[in-house]
Amino acid sequence: MNERPAPEKLPRDGSFDIRDWLRLELMPHFMCPGCGHGIALRALLWALDELRVNKDDLAVVSGIGCSGRTAAYIDANTFHVTHGRPLAFATGLKLARPDLTVVVISGDGDSLAIGGNHFLHACRRNLDMTLILLNNEIYGMTGGQVSPTTTAERFTTTTPFGNNEPVFDACEVAQAAGATFVGREATLQTPNLKDLLKDAIAHHGFSVVEVISDCTEIYGRKNDLGNSPEMILAQKREMRPEAYRNTVDTPFRPNPFNTGVLARRDRPEYLDVYRARTEALRRQGGGK
Amino acid sequence: MAETTLNDDAGAENAEATAARPTNVLIVGVGGQGVIMVSKVMATLAQRAGFEVKQSEVHGMAKRGGGVFSHVRFGHKVFSPTIPRGEVDVLLALEWAEGLRWLNHLNRSRGTFIADVKRIVPPFACRNRADGAPLGYSRETPKDVLSRVRTGYALNASGMAERLGNPRVANTILLGVLSTALDFPEEEWLAVIEQFVPPKTVEVNLRAFGEGRDWVARHGEVGPDEEVDFSPPAGLETPPRRPRVFIERAWCKSCDICVKMCPERCLELDEAHIARMRAPERCTGCRLCEYLCPDFAIRVLRLPQDASEEEASA
Repeated sequence: MNERPAPEKLPRDGSFDIRDWLRLELMPHFMCPGCGHGIALRALLWALDELRVNKDDLAVVSGIGCSGRTAAYIDANTFHVTHGRPLAFATGLKLARPDLTVVVISGDGDSLAIGGNHFLHACRRNLDMTLILLNNEIYGMTGGQVSPTTTAERFTTTTPFGNNEPVFDACEVAQAAGATFVGREATLQTPNLKDLLKDAIAHHGFSVVEVISDCTEIYGRKNDLGNSPEMILAQKREMRPEAYRNTVDTPFRPNPFNTGVLARRDRPEYLDVYRARTEALRRQGGGK
Repeated sequence: MAETTLNDDAGAENAEATAARPTNVLIVGVGGQGVIMVSKVMATLAQRAGFEVKQSEVHGMAKRGGGVFSHVRFGHKVFSPTIPRGEVDVLLALEWAEGLRWLNHLNRSRGTFIADVKRIVPPFACRNRADGAPLGYSRETPKDVLSRVRTGYALNASGMAERLGNPRVANTILLGVLSTALDFPEEEWLAVIEQFVPPKTVEVNLRAFGEGRDWVARHGEVGPDEEVDFSPPAGLETPPRRPRVFIERAWCKSCDICVKMCPERCLELDEAHIARMRAPERCTGCRLCEYLCPDFAIRVLRLPQDASEEEASA
């Protein structure tokens, strides 16, 4: 790894400083200019900082893809695992070390296509961990292939005449599969995203937060969505905060994505059930 | 005692013109304060007394906290529903700055100015978002204003209403003050108020009305400042903190987000397409650039004013 000049030391004013949480020797990170994943990473670290999570008690697991690389910049226990399997890995990790705060960073392709199976079953099991699904509607790192969340008619390297496939709504899928906390927020609303992530990490059970992120270099360029500021501002046009859901005239605002906490349910957490069962068996004198 | 009948000071006007001229009451305030309720009471009262009444209002601003006004005109014959500028006999303001805004509608020679000194700072008075920036809100004290009107009352009706246990009856207290400026019997006022307020609050409203009348009886024509708390609006006294933007040049990837998103247009890209501060003095420390920088290159610090200059120049 080539050496980089250390960033300057800054005075402190009591606000969140992301440099406390970064592996400074790896910065600047590898992501393209204007990529929303950096903002999402800031929101995650900010949330962890406000929750006063100890770095040693934190495990961040990520898969392959642009989203997978974001975990590598966090100065904590991070795991970079196989494509689509961060949830499988994290499930094992959480079962072995229930004391850890487990956060999974995954992308739309990683979680919904290649690891779709693991996504469904993680939601079903309701193990106490947090999935951050960075949705940029494309496989960015591998060259810009179509993903399950690519909007219809949009161009990618594998859909040169436009995407014909219908889209997955990750939040609907997660709710249907049984996740007990489901939320969505756009990177434009960083403080809101931070608050949502705080709620999600504090939630006892499996929580899914879909983050609307931008791929400016591939998806934006191929689809003529404008430069980075234009793309991030476009989020504002399309999003519709959940709190306003009942007050907005639905027919007049096509193709919005709801933001905020979309579902919060109470269901037994996997480890609680597991512990209760083992306790009962132990009292019986061991299971047969 | 301030039993000012409106038409007694008509001056050069002859009796016939005085009798023909309608009485004009302008009620102003901020959405949600009860401007419309006051004007309804006023209009019903005049109607019960056998006058012809015309009323016109702007409403629906309650959600946005915007200004609301209502014209009430009554007399033997009223032609237009709106009051011409300079013809208002009684200006009843439920909010201080709204009262000042409409002051030029008040008749100089016979007008009565009644205002609550409650201040509701509108959003556009906070356009300068820098810490410690002055609010664009009126600095005029009740003394300044009352010296310029013929009859004026400035009272802390909201404070009185809170002491009565319901801050929402401030408008009824002002109605009590208004009742002393017009020629209607007190029982009539009470009957009409009872008709318009929610049944559960009749009792407190009637007490509030009495409170307003008592206030005038106690203080005479011009309300002294003793009950008026007119310290500068909150926000002026916060210690200013100087925002400083630090940019890690090696981390910037020229994505332009900070430049385009800065509400004060403080940033620009230099010759090497790296973000830099163009106008540090305009920075309000809102941190939007820091939040939205995907490369963590921007750090905004809100340092106390006395931070050393060498830190600041970094």
